[in-house]
Amino acid sequence: MFQLPKGNPLFENLAVTKLKLTDVVTKLANGSFSGYASFTFPGATGILVFEAGKLITTFYKTTQGQPLSDFEAMTALAEQMANSGTGTMDVYRLSKDLTMCVNSLLQGEVLYRSQELVLIDIKNLLERIKNERMNGCLRIYTDEKSAMIFYKEGNPLGFFHDGSQDIDSSPGESHQLAQDPKAKLDLYTSVSADELMAHDLLDVINVAKIWDAAVARKQAELERMNRELAEKDRMLSLNLLNDLENQIRNVYVEYVGTVGRGIIDKELTTAGGNTCLQDPERSEQFVAALEKAAKLLINVKKITEMKEKINALLTQARA
Amino acid sequence: MELVLEQLQGIPTIYLIQLVFWLLAGVISFIFSLGNARIWTSISMGFFLILVSQFYLLNKLFYTPTVATFTYITGTVAIMLITHGFLEYYVFCRTFEITGRKQTVYLSTMLLLLLSWVFLSINPEPSMFTVRNVKMVENAIWVFLTLMNLEIIRKIYFSIRDSAIAKAFICFGVVFVLIFLWKGSELYLQVFQWDRLWGNIAFQLDLDELEFDHAIKLDDSEDYWRRISFARQVYDYAGMLAAMAVSGTFAFLYRLLK
Repeated sequence: MFQLPKGNPLFENLAVTKLKLTDVVTKLANGSFSGYASFTFPGATGILVFEAGKLITTFYKTTQGQPLSDFEAMTALAEQMANSGTGTMDVYRLSKDLTMCVNSLLQGEVLYRSQELVLIDIKNLLERIKNERMNGCLRIYTDEKSAMIFYKEGNPLGFFHDGSQDIDSSPGESHQLAQDPKAKLDLYTSVSADELMAHDLLDVINVAKIWDAAVARKQAELERMNRELAEKDRMLSLNLLNDLENQIRNVYVEYVGTVGRGIIDKELTTAGGNTCLQDPERSEQFVAALEKAAKLLINVKKITEMKEKINALLTQARA
Repeated sequence: MELVLEQLQGIPTIYLIQLVFWLLAGVISFIFSLGNARIWTSISMGFFLILVSQFYLLNKLFYTPTVATFTYITGTVAIMLITHGFLEYYVFCRTFEITGRKQTVYLSTMLLLLLSWVFLSINPEPSMFTVRNVKMVENAIWVFLTLMNLEIIRKIYFSIRDSAIAKAFICFGVVFVLIFLWKGSELYLQVFQWDRLWGNIAFQLDLDELEFDHAIKLDDSEDYWRRISFARQVYDYAGMLAAMAVSGTFAFLYRLLK
């Protein structure tokens, strides 16, 4: 993702997790804001370009994916904001003309893309820009550096290159880059600022609904995860209880014989299942019932031993 | 005192030995009934009541027809209690349910005996025939329920055969086989009027003089006398062995469960 001119920063590094997309958009729209809001996430970037409070461009791109615009970009941005645990937002005020140029970079018509500069007659191209009174941006870049020249009606508005914060009036870096044999060129054109102002994406995109849907999806996802977690916990608890039940059964059968299996089953059913083993009071009643039945089968000494073993198992399980 | 001793000397030795063992069995089983699970109470109380029913052996000391009849009724209550206890144990082995209270068993038993006494009191004094009839009914019930108990014990044993107490049920099986021989032999004698009570009746009523056709006749063949004598010996020895077996079984149970 190439860098954009920063103009006058209004907010920088605001944590996205604390923001609501609807609030951001409403605030910028109501404040007749011109410029852009940039959302940076690990692996994705979203940009909302405003001109006099009108949302003229939405842009969203992941590291690997194709760039998205308009409704799709807004939806993707909302999803990312709702789901991402990290991310920052920067808001930069720009002039009306630069806003137009930024728009051309993001969504303008591509006249040239990745053209090797040595294969192009650059003078001819600049003349064409001038003659056709183009609005847009000429981007010259190598693998290491890039520079941009913004045009309004064929005249250069300013120069911007990586590492600088704002627009320069002198070509500087762009001239040097243009002489690099490995340099490439992109040319983006845009309609004029006045034409851009003719439409407002906020008239066609219901940001509140998109945001609510994203939050609802996130909520649903969270609930699903919580349910899964609860189910996992329940299964874990059930497995632990089943293990405990089997251990108690083994001890009981060891003392009273195989008839003990039936006694354990019956007493567990009476006690409402093996969940009674979690409750000290109910498990005490369960052990008392086992003792009562054991009195018909074994002697007091063995009953005492057996009870001690069962109580140790219960204590250990609760610990 | 001299009279008592004189009367005691008149009781056959084997009956005295039998009485001593029943006394022992009664004491052990009663003590056992106090300190154990409710189901054991019915069984041990039943065996204790055999002791009470055996007081008829001391008839020479305090014989009245009512007391004699009462001891036989007590014997009937005894086997009913024992059967009820084993039945409950079997139900426990199948359903693992234990219900009821010890006090209920003691009180019900006492109430049943009291009602029996009231029944005897409000009716005419039992005749020799009545006494013998009640004794016969007692023996018939014992024989029938003994067979039933043997089957129940077999089933209980197979349900708990790997438990420590299973061996005690083998002992109970032996006890019931002996009791079956004891009570069965007496019933056999009674059915054919070869029993001592009938002999008394015949003697007192002078049935031979009246040429009344009854069981034992002097001209009966040797075969009959042999089987009568055998049945009487079975009755005497099986009774004594049953008393010993009950004492031994409860002592063994006591050791297993204490």
